Amino acid sequence: MDNRNLKKDLEHIDSILKEKGISRRDAMKMLGLSTAGLAVGSTSLDATTTLNASDAKGEVLIVGGGLSGMSTAARLKSSASGINITVVEPEAASVSYQPGQTLVGAGLWDKKDIFYKRDDFVPDGVKVIKEKVMKFDPQKNTATTDKGTELKYDAMIVTAGVKLNYGAIVGLEAAGEAYSSGDNKALVGELNAKGVSSVYTADGAEATWKNMQAFIAKAKAGQKVSGVFTHPNTPIKCGGAPKKIMYLTNERLKEQGARENADLHFYPNGGGMFGIKDYHTAIVKQFEREKFNWSYKHNLVEIANGEAIFDNHGLVKGKFDPDLDEYEMIQTHKRVVKKFDFIHVTPPMKAPDEIGNSVIGSAKGWVPVNKETLQHAKFENVFSLGDIAAIPMGKTGGSVRKQYKVAVSNVVSYLEKGSIPKTNAKYDGYTVCPLITSIGTVMLAEFNWASKKPGSGQNAATAGFLDPTQERYIWWLLKFYLLKPMTVYGMLSGRA
Amino acid sequence: MKKIIISTLLSIFAVFALVGCGEKETKQEKVAYKYTTVQVYEQACIKCHGKHGEGNPEKKTPALNDRTPAEMAQDLYDVKNGGTGFGGSGTDHEIMEHNMKKLIDKGYDYDIDSMAEFLSYLAKNQ
Repeated sequence: MDNRNLKKDLEHIDSILKEKGISRRDAMKMLGLSTAGLAVGSTSLDATTTLNASDAKGEVLIVGGGLSGMSTAARLKSSASGINITVVEPEAASVSYQPGQTLVGAGLWDKKDIFYKRDDFVPDGVKVIKEKVMKFDPQKNTATTDKGTELKYDAMIVTAGVKLNYGAIVGLEAAGEAYSSGDNKALVGELNAKGVSSVYTADGAEATWKNMQAFIAKAKAGQKVSGVFTHPNTPIKCGGAPKKIMYLTNERLKEQGARENADLHFYPNGGGMFGIKDYHTAIVKQFEREKFNWSYKHNLVEIANGEAIFDNHGLVKGKFDPDLDEYEMIQTHKRVVKKFDFIHVTPPMKAPDEIGNSVIGSAKGWVPVNKETLQHAKFENVFSLGDIAAIPMGKTGGSVRKQYKVAVSNVVSYLEKGSIPKTNAKYDGYTVCPLITSIGTVMLAEFNWASKKPGSGQNAATAGFLDPTQERYIWWLLKFYLLKPMTVYGMLSGRA
Repeated sequence: MKKIIISTLLSIFAVFALVGCGEKETKQEKVAYKYTTVQVYEQACIKCHGKHGEGNPEKKTPALNDRTPAEMAQDLYDVKNGGTGFGGSGTDHEIMEHNMKKLIDKGYDYDIDSMAEFLSYLAKNQ
């Protein structure tokens, strides 16, 4: 494994902390107050206590070598050396650090800061096939690649991620579908031609910064400008990014003294800012403070001539329904047109078609699994995690950090015993969204399914005594300096 | 040099671990429901979704007996929470999300996994 960047990262952390007059030890203590910090602690403990060598044997096929797939491979290898692991992944840059793309989009990081090569993170003894699985036959326990290679498995783990579906928006058809990593210059060319920015690819993040600077220059020159930020009607990875890029645009405008010339408007498809009541309320307050505008229930459907066209959906009361003992509701749609000088589009997302439309997919594409064991809903030797799995609130690196350990222990149990003991650890829905609210502040939104009881607004995932709805400098340090080395060197080695 | 760096990184993780000790457990809320899953189905769902969860085309209510429990749990989560994402994406079932809120206000709240299992039982015992 290549640790060349590690030294650089640690030195960087130290120099920043020194500048701020904080010792690394104190910083770690502060970070330890949160469960994001806690999680690292508890998992490094888990690593020594639960990674007992298992005698499990068999062929494990991992479909997709991004953060989920490579972390799973590393942990599986160190859990049971008798297992043969094959990862199928065509993209050489599949493990690039995607959470950094918002920072690239705002000119705070460079694209090369988030670039990592998959081949530097292949554990000894794990085989990588640089092809793509196109066909699944779970009855025969085989999968076939685009080059016709037939792979037989005892257990399969599907970690193929999401596809960004820009082409689903009228006017962006030529942009088509893409993965976040890899060469997306053609995609960015199509988006730029329509005046569209999007940090969801690494190349797109770079282009976003250029477009944002042009937008800010206009505002600085005294022009009244319109900035539009969208959030689609599908589950998305990193649910905070559509807002983070808006906060950072705001910050960059302020730096140039040009904020008052810009209208910044957020258009989510949903009817709220965040699923957890406390975080929703906190974000609304932040939006009010920063004089942002927002319109709920607006789904971007078309881009044409510098205008964004939304489907504004809602409900109106119909007849009284005696069965329901309530008035029935009728769905309404209204076309809303908004002119933009800068638009950040968060594309609709879906499972890759060759998986979503296969027997292991589902009506909506996502691979259906038991949300606590990550075992497939129909095939007991198939597991799935990460962005492609049908798991509520998943689709962040933070949720993967919890999921891959559950998946590994269940796969090992399955290969050893043919079943998953009830005593195995379960995934509890944990996820984390370090919501950047300015350059230097982050609200560390941590939550799990138990945080979601309707109306309670309580947050079962935060164990510390710091109010999780507060924006803090220390979380900025975590986001800006620590999460990357924690992810790249902790997770990809299967340790944390 | 490499060893020093690695040990530094490990000590960082160790500090996390020490600070973390004693705070590890996250509390799972236990919710007491007014009605059992079966009562909820028979009193609040059956009129529109049918005795066996077969749905009613006249009322445009979908069948609920055509999915595995894991898939059903995902759909029930969507309806109860207004989506399966962080909130900004919204739900695929805007009308039912509204109706579900009304039903929950009337006391017909339920455990998602238990309801998903019950619906799969209905499907198997038609």
